[in-house]
Amino acid sequence: MSTVNVPSSPLELPDETYPDRTQAVVSSPAGPILSKSALRLLLLLFLLGFALVIGENDLTGSLGNRFQTFVTIFLSLFIEAVPFLLAGAIVAGFIEVFVNRELLTRFVPRHPILAALTGGAMGMVFPVCECGVVPVTRRLYQKGLPQSVGIAFLLAAPVVNPVVVASTYAAFGWGPILYARLGLSFLIASVIGLIFYLADPNEILLPETLESTSSVHHPAHAHGHGHHHDDLDHSPGAGLWQALGIAGDDFLDMARYLIAGSLLAAGMQTLAPQSALLALGGNAFTSILAMMALAFVLSVCSTVDAFLALAFANSFPPAAILAFLVFGPMVDIKSSLMFLRVFKRRTVAYLILLPFMVTLVVTVYLNLNVRW
Amino acid sequence: MNANVKAVALILMGLFLYSRFFNGNLFYYISERFVWLTILASVAFIIVGLSYRIGSRHQHDHEGHSHDQFSWGGLALVALPIVLGLLVPPRPLGAAALTNRDVSVESLTSAAAPESNNVLARPKGERNILDWVIDFRQAGDPAAFTGEEARVIGFAYRDERFAADQFMVARFVVSCCAADAAPLGLIVQWPDSQTLTDDQWVEVAGHIEPGRFAGEAMPVLIADSITPTDIPERPYLYPY
Repeated sequence: MSTVNVPSSPLELPDETYPDRTQAVVSSPAGPILSKSALRLLLLLFLLGFALVIGENDLTGSLGNRFQTFVTIFLSLFIEAVPFLLAGAIVAGFIEVFVNRELLTRFVPRHPILAALTGGAMGMVFPVCECGVVPVTRRLYQKGLPQSVGIAFLLAAPVVNPVVVASTYAAFGWGPILYARLGLSFLIASVIGLIFYLADPNEILLPETLESTSSVHHPAHAHGHGHHHDDLDHSPGAGLWQALGIAGDDFLDMARYLIAGSLLAAGMQTLAPQSALLALGGNAFTSILAMMALAFVLSVCSTVDAFLALAFANSFPPAAILAFLVFGPMVDIKSSLMFLRVFKRRTVAYLILLPFMVTLVVTVYLNLNVRW
Repeated sequence: MNANVKAVALILMGLFLYSRFFNGNLFYYISERFVWLTILASVAFIIVGLSYRIGSRHQHDHEGHSHDQFSWGGLALVALPIVLGLLVPPRPLGAAALTNRDVSVESLTSAAAPESNNVLARPKGERNILDWVIDFRQAGDPAAFTGEEARVIGFAYRDERFAADQFMVARFVVSCCAADAAPLGLIVQWPDSQTLTDDQWVEVAGHIEPGRFAGEAMPVLIADSITPTDIPERPYLYPY
């Protein structure tokens, strides 16, 4: 098994240019890793087969039906989100190849507050949802984006972008829900970005995220930075294909977290009774908690969550709907799992807790003091 | 991770998404509005997968990127949707999801029923379950539609709250994907209700009369005929 898969890669590499790379591939302990993963795959297949047998069996039919429901919800979350993640990865690939550090540094203001606000508004330029924003943010960090700007972008972009404005307008029309959603998301994200302004990037970001673009390049490139431009001059398509290849890497890297998150969300949905949550609609405080919990668990893409929120508009107060529309795009099960690929664990915890607290406080205040 | 393996994984992902569309199962998972996105993504996956081959002729530092954390275990996880999708026979959400969602009388009549809806313009004979529920809700009077003919398609559902001659003909309303599905249904009065099994798709023809379900007054569909049918091409209803 290992002998079939591994050698194909060094063969297509021009060995004389990358001697150390070839060596690394050959000497990597592919054998044991492969058989271990083969075992895992077998185990997975066995579990699936087991589940299928249960599904066919009438005695345990309800368990089988539940499993079927779980699979349908899992696949629906995945199929719905995957185009957005791929789009984000493609944008990330193009950023990697075509955006240079100097441009980015010139574009971001020096003043910390202005910088955070810029981050909050950047979604208007990169229209991505909460799946796509993660790979884009990671690439922008590798291009030297300040961490406060990146965090403001990460949290705001899933709402403050033309696609989501359009879908929210389609669902709620021009009105307080639309303005408040945009305004609150923008402000909360910028404030949280600002909070991280003083933090040490080494404490916040994973080492891979901090890695600057030039060091990612292979040391064999003596001409280093100018490499891309040379390539582009010789063959115009090269940059494009390179960007797509990076997109593929980024997608596969992030997809694991999307899939793990979709599995979790589907599991919660199959097991937890939703009516218990919906029963909390009457109270000013619990109604908001319930909608935020629902947003976290459902993990629905921010480009369409407005239509979903519409379904609850009759049984929940507007501020609770707003909490759903503001908090959900910032943090949900699948996106927060993907955060782990960019930030250190402790930062991820803050990135869940801070938006939660701020959204909760603001929307409870609105619920008690504002007549809609 | 070998670039060829990645390329194959991406291309397989694209083919998997396309196969869902090609087999018509895509409607079991997402709203019809997003089908074009899935098709676009399946094409994009194949192009991105191919870029590993084409791109490698121009430049060679694909593998130099620091994604060594992407292991075979990670690949297994990425393959999971494909494996589950191929092994578990595709089926839309049905009565099992309804029991979990713990459908209440309240949600029978109110969940996922938006206020404004242009379906009222639809001819009465073509109104689906969602249209009727919205109508009932807006009228607020169980007797408002007495005598009107109705013909609806849905799956059968019963629990302990139903009388012996009652069942619910139900559909899920989906605005984005099956993850946000909300159940809706009409109470059907039919002497042989108990012969129907959960999840059996039926076409119910009859007329509306004021009735009672679980102690509450609500419009009830008195069935003249019940015809078993296949799962419709689009099993969910869309609230727009």
